[in-house]
Amino acid sequence: MSHGSTKLNKNDISSEIDLHVNEVTVAYNNGHVALFDTTFDLGAGTICALVGVNGSGKSTLFKTIMGFLTPTRGSVTIGGKPVQVAQKQNMVAYIPQAEDVDWAFPVSVMDVVLMGRYGYMNFLRIPRATDLEIAIESLRRVNMLDYKERQIGELSGGQKKRVFLARALAQRGRIVLLDEPFSGVDVQTEAAIIELLRELRADEHLILVSTHDLGLVPSFCDQVVIINRTVLAAGPTHDTFTQENLARAFGGTLRDLRIDHTDAPDGTSNEFRVLSDDEEPLIFGHDGRLVDHWHPGIDEEESK
Amino acid sequence: MIELLLTPLHYEYMIKAIVVSGVIGGVCGLLSCFVTLKGWSLMGDALSHAIVPGVAVAYLVGLPFALGAFASGLLAAVVMGVVKSKTRIREDAVIGIVFTTFFAAGVLMISLFPSNISLKTIVLGNILGIADSDIIQMLAISAVALLVLVLKWKDLLLFAFDPNQAQSIGLNTTRLNLMLLILLAATAVAALQAVGAVLVIAMLVTPGATAYQLTDRFGRMMLLACGMGIVTSMLGAYISYFLNGSTGGCIVCLQTLVFLMAFFFAPKYGIVAARRKARRTTDALLISGDAHPVPALRGL
Amino acid sequence: MNLSYLIEPFQYRFMVEAMLMAALVGGTCAVLSCYLVLKGWSLMGDAVSHAVLPGIVLAYIVGAPLAVGAFLAGLLCASGTGWITNHSRLKGDAVMGVVFTGLFALGLVMFTKVTTDVHLNHILFGSLLGIERSDMLQAVIAATLTLVILAVVRKDILLYLFDANQARAVGLNTTFLHYLFLALLSLTIVAALQAVGIILTVAMLIVPGCIGLLLSDRFGRMTAIASGAAIFSAIAGTYLSYFLNGETGACIVLTQAIILTLAALFGPKYGILFRARAARRAAAGREQ
Ligand SMILES: Nc1ncnc2c1ncn2[C@@H]1O[C@H](COP(=O)(O)OP(=O)(O)O)[C@@H](O)[C@H]1O
Ligand SMILES: [Mg+2]
Repeated sequence: MSHGSTKLNKNDISSEIDLHVNEVTVAYNNGHVALFDTTFDLGAGTICALVGVNGSGKSTLFKTIMGFLTPTRGSVTIGGKPVQVAQKQNMVAYIPQAEDVDWAFPVSVMDVVLMGRYGYMNFLRIPRATDLEIAIESLRRVNMLDYKERQIGELSGGQKKRVFLARALAQRGRIVLLDEPFSGVDVQTEAAIIELLRELRADEHLILVSTHDLGLVPSFCDQVVIINRTVLAAGPTHDTFTQENLARAFGGTLRDLRIDHTDAPDGTSNEFRVLSDDEEPLIFGHDGRLVDHWHPGIDEEESK
Repeated sequence: MIELLLTPLHYEYMIKAIVVSGVIGGVCGLLSCFVTLKGWSLMGDALSHAIVPGVAVAYLVGLPFALGAFASGLLAAVVMGVVKSKTRIREDAVIGIVFTTFFAAGVLMISLFPSNISLKTIVLGNILGIADSDIIQMLAISAVALLVLVLKWKDLLLFAFDPNQAQSIGLNTTRLNLMLLILLAATAVAALQAVGAVLVIAMLVTPGATAYQLTDRFGRMMLLACGMGIVTSMLGAYISYFLNGSTGGCIVCLQTLVFLMAFFFAPKYGIVAARRKARRTTDALLISGDAHPVPALRGL
Repeated sequence: MNLSYLIEPFQYRFMVEAMLMAALVGGTCAVLSCYLVLKGWSLMGDAVSHAVLPGIVLAYIVGAPLAVGAFLAGLLCASGTGWITNHSRLKGDAVMGVVFTGLFALGLVMFTKVTTDVHLNHILFGSLLGIERSDMLQAVIAATLTLVILAVVRKDILLYLFDANQARAVGLNTTFLHYLFLALLSLTIVAALQAVGIILTVAMLIVPGCIGLLLSDRFGRMTAIASGAAIFSAIAGTYLSYFLNGETGACIVLTQAIILTLAALFGPKYGILFRARAARRAAAGREQ
């Protein structure tokens, strides 16, 4: 595929944050190729789920988009610019996996949120009045203002997540990367995060969420990229989040139940298949499209 | 020429030094496999420094040096355990605090009560001038450590690899932990005289690290590390005759050299092999059909 | 015991100079120790301070300032360790153990081959009381440089250590920060080496940071406490060593250790006694 095909439409206002992952291959220093020939494009106003089993390369892809790993082949561009340039302009905000953070570090909630503002501060990183205002406003948005003087280790799992979400808000990055944001988080925080992501989408942000929690995906993501060392499928949730693709990505790790209703009174073929990771069953019709899903808390009535 | 190469072997003190170094190198090599896999390098370093006050006291009151050294090493390990469980300081910092404090105490003691022990000998070792009584102590320690390792290496391996599993099959992990600590302290005491407090950690890490680059099997790793320990230690002691000193320096330089060779050229995990593997895998994946992106994903 | 006896040490110029040197070096080490302790890099201070030996010997051979050689060797150790760790399957601590002992051993072997007027004893154990003018000058320059640079980049380095990905995301050059930090560490070690020697430098790079960590959970306060404790220990330790007639460096480190013990026992929030009392109260509360 030529680089020409990734050219942007210059008239498109949102094009400055279009994310192009172009034939990216990433090898770790031990010679393990964690991603190869990975290609997809995403634009503003999108929430995209990055789905794959553990070890499929989700975090690797994030680290590559962040410029932490350099692809051995291919390239990642943001609005046509290399990652490093985009970062200088504070375009990419990132919310780390909980395991990657040292919670004993002697910093307060406010300190962490202010870290999102470093790119705007002078080189001594002394916060200006606007930085403090933005930090406080971001904390208010995630409902954590009361905790701003707490040491970060003294928070619950959900509160910790919110603090990092506030940091991303304070950074004003238009691309937001969340690595497994729902692991170890209570149902309210989950709902609050999703609500906030929807607001950001309405605000023309591009949000990329990695997860292996399948049940949540259809309820708030409009695009899905399914990976297993490379992209297995990518596109709008309705077309991509199909039983066939998921079975391909998750293989034997999901339960596959077949419920046949062909003897229904109207006589039409009415076969259902249920894929389940034992928490949230996904129900597919005979065309392999998702017809129903259930996730505790979020949209209970909706899916009844 | 041959004559020149054989001269060190004409001296009894050289023969002794070579043999004792080899024995200690071998035992340290075996133990180094556990140290590298368990991430205990700092612990090895710590114990070798923490035994200094014990050595000082032992000399002052006229006890065998090994006894004092060993007691003080164990005391340090206990203090580390207590501090770690009672404070919020990270483990590595706890180890650092305890061993440097012990070492400082040793230095102060030696400076307060000048005797015929020199701090420099403790820190840098002096195997060429080792007394016969010390040789006996070192050989005894090595023999016991070797025996325990040969009998118990499978338990220790499981403990190093997966302590939870070890516990669940009914092994007493507290005891295994203690056993490994005691072995570490004992070999540190033995190695102290050969290479000195500073370089003990090399004997307790480098052979294991080298062997780990070369093999995936633990049994083979122990053999390789042990062999490397013996050969480098004997050769190092031998070479130090020509360089006129610093046996420890020679031994450790050799070990580092071997490590570097393994790092670059190991058949599977060497840096050259890894580069080749990444290139080959990428090529293979690109040639095989699955590598091509699903056509539908352009222009989301 | 009268007052004039107690102030006797202050009447000697070499004692006052030693105290000032120790305070400067100790304070600088303390600031760096905060970063090392937080990051779990205690072995790094240990490693770099040993690895400077071949640099010192080489500098002596070519006639360069010893501090320059030491600095370069320290940097080589730190960056070599990082590189090998990234390219092998070994744990970082093992690689560091291999690299620094390799360099130290090389230094020892080289040392026996050149006849120098540098005393190995001075490098190993320092010579605070007999420190020479030129060495003092080098140490003052190294320490001042470190402190000034740290004052400028302290927040960037803190962010880098806390969350390197975020540092990158806000556009910081993390590679530069990494090597800058290692360079500052080497520089500090060079300064400290002249005063207290290799092995006790390691202590001064760990203990004060832990004191700070036990007494505070804000980084700024932690640094202030650490350097305060280190400066106090430097002066008190040197002062005590005058009366004890023992190694000055060892006295300084032991004073630090005593302060650490007090902090661990009586610290207001994380102290052992405080926690025990809190636990008792909680238990009593539950019973009611
Ligand atoms: N630092 C590393 N060195 C070598 N291999 C790695 C490293 N990090 C991850 N890997 C490997 O790369 C693959 C992808 O990992 P990762 O991106 O973390 O997966 P995910 O986030 O989807 O669970 C895994 O097989 C993992 O073992
Ligand atoms: Mg991951």
